Amino acid sequence: MRRDVFTFLVGGRAGQGVKKAGAVASRLFAHMGRQVFQMDDYQSLIRGGHNFSVVSTSRSEISSHYMKADLVVALDERSRELHSQHLRRNGLMICDADSLDEAQACGVSLTSEARKHPDPELRYGVGAVAALAAALGFGKERLQEIITHEYSRDVDHNIAYASAIYDVAHPIVGDRFDLKEGDGERPLLYGNEAIALGAAAGGLDVYVAYPMTPSSSILHFLAAHDRDLGVAVVHPESEIAVANMAIGAAFAGARTMVGSSGGGFALMEEALSLAGMAEAPLLCVLSSRPGPSTGVPTYTEQGDLNFALNQGHGEFPRIVASPGGVEEAFYLAGELLNLAWEFQIPAILLTEKHLSESKTTVDIDVEQALWPESAGYQGEESAYCRYSDTEAGVSPPLFPPSSELIKWNSYEHDEKGVTTEEPAMVTRMHDKRARKRTHLESFLKDVRTVNVYGEGETPIFTYGSTTLSVREAMAAGGIEAKVVQPVYLEPTPTSELRKHRKGNPIVVELSSTGQFARFLTERCGIKPAHVITKYDGRPFDPDELAKRIKGVM
Amino acid sequence: MDDLTTYADNTWCKGCGNFGIFNAFKKAVGKLEQRGISRDSIVISAGIGCHGKIFDYLKLSGLYSIHGRSMATVQGIKIGNPNLKPVAFAGDGDAFGEGLAHLVFAAKRNADITVVVHDNAVYGLTTGQYTPTSQRGFRGPSTPRGSVEEPLNPLTLLLDAGATFVARGYTVKQDHLVELLAMAVEHEGFSFVDILQPCVTFNNTYERYNGIVEILEETPDTLERALVVARRAEPLLLGVLYEVKKPAFHVALYGDWNPVEQRMPSTERREKIAAMLRPAST
Repeated sequence: MRRDVFTFLVGGRAGQGVKKAGAVASRLFAHMGRQVFQMDDYQSLIRGGHNFSVVSTSRSEISSHYMKADLVVALDERSRELHSQHLRRNGLMICDADSLDEAQACGVSLTSEARKHPDPELRYGVGAVAALAAALGFGKERLQEIITHEYSRDVDHNIAYASAIYDVAHPIVGDRFDLKEGDGERPLLYGNEAIALGAAAGGLDVYVAYPMTPSSSILHFLAAHDRDLGVAVVHPESEIAVANMAIGAAFAGARTMVGSSGGGFALMEEALSLAGMAEAPLLCVLSSRPGPSTGVPTYTEQGDLNFALNQGHGEFPRIVASPGGVEEAFYLAGELLNLAWEFQIPAILLTEKHLSESKTTVDIDVEQALWPESAGYQGEESAYCRYSDTEAGVSPPLFPPSSELIKWNSYEHDEKGVTTEEPAMVTRMHDKRARKRTHLESFLKDVRTVNVYGEGETPIFTYGSTTLSVREAMAAGGIEAKVVQPVYLEPTPTSELRKHRKGNPIVVELSSTGQFARFLTERCGIKPAHVITKYDGRPFDPDELAKRIKGVM
Repeated sequence: MDDLTTYADNTWCKGCGNFGIFNAFKKAVGKLEQRGISRDSIVISAGIGCHGKIFDYLKLSGLYSIHGRSMATVQGIKIGNPNLKPVAFAGDGDAFGEGLAHLVFAAKRNADITVVVHDNAVYGLTTGQYTPTSQRGFRGPSTPRGSVEEPLNPLTLLLDAGATFVARGYTVKQDHLVELLAMAVEHEGFSFVDILQPCVTFNNTYERYNGIVEILEETPDTLERALVVARRAEPLLLGVLYEVKKPAFHVALYGDWNPVEQRMPSTERREKIAAMLRPAST
């Protein structure tokens, strides 16, 4: 358990402003110069049910929320019951006095105060922020500034409600926690925002997507900023249209990205194979949720690793890579967009709800994003061959309008792009595409494909957003180990990973069958001594994960 | 061989209606060039089936798509570079079966594309099964006792979906078809040309069509009148059934901006991102 971490948890019904209250708390902490990790747990419904937002903050690096909170604000009875187990020792719970049988020390009349205003249901989140402000010892003026800034719609009622809650809460919880300022204010980003901005920084022209949790916020973010960023954003009738439109846009020379979750990505499968054959550059974001099928839509899992690696009929080269944090998601999105264009292949950015929809403070240098301009075709007139059979297998691209004939083809084709069934040409084109993979493998030798954190002897292999949990568990449990995280999964950085195969490797992943452990064995000959899995849709809590790791070390 | 024909071996059956579409389209390209639309900007796509072979035969740039998806492919091309004039060739199985959603939504959003349907009411390349436009009772290998379904009327469907240019052509009426195709490509917005195309091997409709087609004298001036004309089975009317001017999808979304030709310079893009990353002070 890290003593330098403060955790705020707010729970309530959908529609009470739980997520917003969490986001406001995150901004307060970030504004204090502290580092922040926010995890939102919400259900697939619009009203009712149970949602909560957990915000953990520290003055040093923090890569996960903690489920044991210092301050819990329970906006309804269900939250009070559910989250009483989530209090840290000396932690404090503020709940709705109106729902209690008898007055309790931490009861604050959230409901009866809310009923003094129109739309009382919308006030609760404001109340949570007021209670937090009181607990942190903020003055009332500062609270009013925060409310004015964060809850500007219907602001007078919000300020009045916040003041009332503050007045009741302050005598009970006032100045209970003294949080020190950190070393400087950092921006806060959701994983999906980082993916969107990273792709934009890497030269994105067009984003096409159909809504599907947990990928939708990429679509929402880019649609909200399309004109500002100069990115065309389209939401068509289905994921099938998405993928085919995206390939069409790439043909026109537009650097294009698509995004979905498992079900929608399954609908894109036919087009992914088209991208393989036509040699269309295409960046696909696959943000996983628990499957199979509709599964558990708003939660997290790593059940799509094999799907990403094997998606699409036929044999063609691809890239699959998975970011281990929000900052890495920013850089990786741009890097993958450019690799897709450099090699004219589909690239899959595999991530999960836990990264897509978690928010954290980041240090990002936009100038580090790659955006190389492609030289394009430089050859003679009337000699252009879309699929020229080069040594590296990569044919220089050219885009219409052009006096040259540019034919991309879903059928097997000759160098000009005209359909062929001729056996020698079929073989030759297979070989050409396969050489791109060989070329890509050697290219990736100069790219950081594997991250290693820590210097202990025991290797702990993990990937994707679980890296965040494992890294935080190291800190929480004071564990001496080295965390080995492949960023690139295909082509697999086999030799880089094999360097860490000795010393009773532990694997940590969010899947029920241990797909990642099998991946390491089959592709790298790494035999895990222990596989720690979780598949209830929830990310690991660092303290619990630290216990499980210590249990097998 | 003319300058719009590639070296690919033509493998359509002798007498196939696809030749009529192929030849008419080449002539339409000539007409379009006279009207100021360069062939370099005309890009094509096709689905899968006998019709799709037109992609290999036409010496025009494009993307040979997959079954049912050419209509989505060309919408993406238009979004990427609005200066291009994309034409999707599709079979009736492609357009009205596998890819129906793309067709209806392209009409609904008035995507500035042209869809040319080689409507022969049969799957030729997979040897003669019934399609969405086959007559009830059509016997094919998947319906040996005859199809039990009524055929779709693609024209009324597309009119209702919001298509801004709807036409019917017939491969035998070449000069008429050439002008229809040129007008369709010229039209700013969604253009749909349903072409009656006899399949000499699996559904030879020459005799039937020759007996019932008639060229429409005047394009109906309202959607309601266009629907009446589109519903008529005999005579089967050829021509532009409806044409109306409405803002094209990409223009409604982005005005006259072109994502690839007016790409934001990387320095400007990065400055904007850096500004977004600057923490908003509370």
